[in-house]
Amino acid sequence: MSETDAINVSNIKKSYKDFTLKDVSFSLPKGSIMGFVGENGAGKTTTLKAILGLIRIDDGKIEVLGSKTGELNNTVKEQIGVVFDGSYLHDSLNVHYVNIIMKNVYSNWDDKVFADYIQRFELPKKKIIKEYSRGMKMKLAIAVALSHHPRLLILDEATSGLDPMIREEILDIFLEFIQEEENSILLSSHIISDIEKIADYVTFIHKGQIVFSENKDNLIYQHGVVRCRKEEVQNIDRSMVAGIRENSFGAEVLIRDKEAFERRYHQFTAEKTSIEEIMLFISRGKERL
Amino acid sequence: MAGLLIKDFINLRKNVKIFASFTLIYGFMAYASQDTSFFSTIFTILCTILTLNLYAFDETAKWDSYALTMPVSRDNIVQGKYLMMLLLTLIGITVGALFALLLHFTVGVGSPILGIRNCTIGGGVAILFYCIALPFITKMGVEKTKYFLLALYIIPFVGVVMLIKTIGNGTVELPGELINLAQYLLKNIYLCMIGVIVVALGISYTLSINIYRKKEF
Repeated sequence: MSETDAINVSNIKKSYKDFTLKDVSFSLPKGSIMGFVGENGAGKTTTLKAILGLIRIDDGKIEVLGSKTGELNNTVKEQIGVVFDGSYLHDSLNVHYVNIIMKNVYSNWDDKVFADYIQRFELPKKKIIKEYSRGMKMKLAIAVALSHHPRLLILDEATSGLDPMIREEILDIFLEFIQEEENSILLSSHIISDIEKIADYVTFIHKGQIVFSENKDNLIYQHGVVRCRKEEVQNIDRSMVAGIRENSFGAEVLIRDKEAFERRYHQFTAEKTSIEEIMLFISRGKERL
Repeated sequence: MAGLLIKDFINLRKNVKIFASFTLIYGFMAYASQDTSFFSTIFTILCTILTLNLYAFDETAKWDSYALTMPVSRDNIVQGKYLMMLLLTLIGITVGALFALLLHFTVGVGSPILGIRNCTIGGGVAILFYCIALPFITKMGVEKTKYFLLALYIIPFVGVVMLIKTIGNGTVELPGELINLAQYLLKNIYLCMIGVIVVALGISYTLSINIYRKKEF
């Protein structure tokens, strides 16, 4: 593991009856945001649980802030903030009680930071969590994750099911957090627009396998989509093709290296694409990366 | 660890009202019937039942998987639960005994010694129950173990009642050595109970720790 990586996942395997993680590898460089994307059931949560030591892996190696998972000591855990897809806090608690509990859990818990987030998120102090909306619960979970001065945030579908306004607000908080150059975020989501907005790197998992883990800008600038007739597809060199989609009007071809393609095939124009389109091509198209 | 215990006590706060009402109703019944022993035992056992509530609260909130991402070890979580079970038992015994003493010395109802003895026995039985139940709860959760827990309460109770009936009818004659042993154990019931509880706690705790270390979330 490089000292510049916050997380390093190397060839991890985990088998269940009906699902397997196969040789999952990627690195999250310190000071960056990685979007961990994939369809429901692709293996995002399983991978994050493995990183957090909540499940035992069959094979492979995981290092988090320089420490091996499974042996994550409290010093490392003090530096990690985690948000799952719900608050995971007891329904009968309110903000006051959450503060008391966390103050006795984290040695570096900061009451003031927590109070500031509660105020900023306009969370009601007297209401119990049971009476919170989903958006409020997620905001509270994010406030907890940020109030002990973590170095690494691990977020599993933290923005799913929230309305665009709240998502925007939460994404802004993540961007603020990353201003500190040692801070890093691993954000799992199937809302690609969120990832496109804030991520520096994108890791795409499909059916338990990593399809790509790359710099987001490189992915967008290098890939391109060619729209052509179905018969024309066979004229394109397969090594340049990442995916093909056909419809009644013709075919769409995802090209790996847009510039190289245009130099070679002057008759075609490779249009700009998006992470979402790349994912759809790969997960639902005919040919894969 | 302190955070885990505080979390449990905070989660139990809504039970305080229920227990206050219980104390008033049964306290009145104890006063009316001139017998505090029933109240003291029931109070102690009910107090320990709160341990099951704590597991259920955590299970509903999916707390454990969240807590394990915090500076809390797997061993800490099991230790917290055993400690809470013992603390709740201690609270039950203390309140039950104080109640027996209070009624005796204020309105002259019941025997304080009998009250304290019943609380202690109730507490001991509850701890033994949890020594068996907690490894199963640790493995499968409260929801999946609830019928097993019910059986764990009922079977020994029915068994003892049937045994007493059988012996009382004179249909079974027990060997003299067995009667002597039973008499010896009864004579030293407190000492025996402490020994059994310590051994049972040790075995139960070791089992739960080993189960929890391997548990996946």
